Amino acid sequence: MSLLLDSLQSAVLLLFSMDPELLNIVGVSLKVSGTSTLIASMAGIPCGFIIAHSGFYGKRLVLTCLNTLLAMPTVVIGLLVYAFISRRALFGELGLLYTQKAMVIGQVILIMPLVTSLTIAAISRIDDRYRKTALTLGATPLQMALVIVHEARYGIGAAVIAAFGRVIAEVGISMMLGGNAKGFTRTMTTAMALEYDKGEFVLAVALGLTLMTIAFGVNMLFHFFQGKTGIDAL
Amino acid sequence: MLYNATELTRTFKGRRVLNLKHLEIRHRKIYGLIGPNGAGKTTLLNLLAFLDRPTTGRLRFQGRDVEYTKQQLLELRRQVVLVDQYPILFTGSVWKNVEFGLKVRGISKKKRSPRIEQALELVGMEEFRQAEAHRLSGGETKRVALARALAIQPEVLLCDEPTANVDEENQEIILKLLQRINSEQQTSIILATHYLAHSRRLADYTLSLEHGTISSQVDEKIS
Repeated sequence: MSLLLDSLQSAVLLLFSMDPELLNIVGVSLKVSGTSTLIASMAGIPCGFIIAHSGFYGKRLVLTCLNTLLAMPTVVIGLLVYAFISRRALFGELGLLYTQKAMVIGQVILIMPLVTSLTIAAISRIDDRYRKTALTLGATPLQMALVIVHEARYGIGAAVIAAFGRVIAEVGISMMLGGNAKGFTRTMTTAMALEYDKGEFVLAVALGLTLMTIAFGVNMLFHFFQGKTGIDAL
Repeated sequence: MLYNATELTRTFKGRRVLNLKHLEIRHRKIYGLIGPNGAGKTTLLNLLAFLDRPTTGRLRFQGRDVEYTKQQLLELRRQVVLVDQYPILFTGSVWKNVEFGLKVRGISKKKRSPRIEQALELVGMEEFRQAEAHRLSGGETKRVALARALAIQPEVLLCDEPTANVDEENQEIILKLLQRINSEQQTSIILATHYLAHSRRLADYTLSLEHGTISSQVDEKIS
């Protein structure tokens, strides 16, 4: 118990001292996770909309595949991407292995099904009368789609936040594709794993606290906007 | 002729819900569609609003065949507007809702404002312009939905049960409003209703639908 309390105390001091190493690790984590969330959202939200709004042959199969991909372990994705970007692999010449770009690629693969599935769920819950009303008022298909996305914005926002939460907390992809290189690809989770291996709990606990604070902050921000824009607030 | 339909059918999952041999609807008139639940009123309105396409048959609008191409549908939908039985208002203010149809047509902000004001005044909702649309009562929602449709000055106004689920005061407001739009703006109106009295009072022609077919057509101005 005293180990935990001592670590907590030292961690808080480390946080307030604005330790450069800690800041660098947090910065890399936010940059990589933010980029992968942005890319996955830009691709996943339109995909989710199209799947939710079109009735094509094999839609059920696509939904089942998406749901299966939600359970994909990060190490499997790490291995899969590694097989394509390692030195002697197909894209080996691009020199992506152990870079932040490799981490982003892996993380996009990890959260793209999550963003798509949750967008499908959010769009499917929207009353069909919104579509019909927008069309009868003279909207083009794109304008109609924007109406639906606007009505489903909280659900879609929740999908993006869930995706960000998933990538900022993952270890497997960052470790396997980033290599945990100090100052370059060391993220909060990989640093925590390393510090634990070394038996140094202070930095690990400080990073844990930071991670939780970021997650809390993002959720608070989301609820703030939700509350500010009206009746859908929780 | 505004609409001309021949051998028009609509089938859902093998069940034929609409089967019209022939239907003609004239310009600038009010048509009342009456019939029990499941008679095909809403299905017909959806076809006339170009929100659905017939299973078989031919539909002509203002002398042109409806071919259901993307471009033509957009052009046709911008002349005809349907106000649903249970209209839904978009999230945001009453003003934003009424503005929608004008905005998607690319009408400038300067030209939009007087048309929104005029439409809101017409339905007596001008004091609610900044109110949150989702906080309105059923009757107020119907009136805003009508204002939203009228702001775009459609050629044809289709109303599905405009007086259903509203109190008598709002019923009266809506009926008078429809009459006024037809006489002042020469808008053709087709309204589906359960109430024969409403159709007799407003309509030039009353069409009775039963099991998807027109069982009778009455010229109210003669009868």
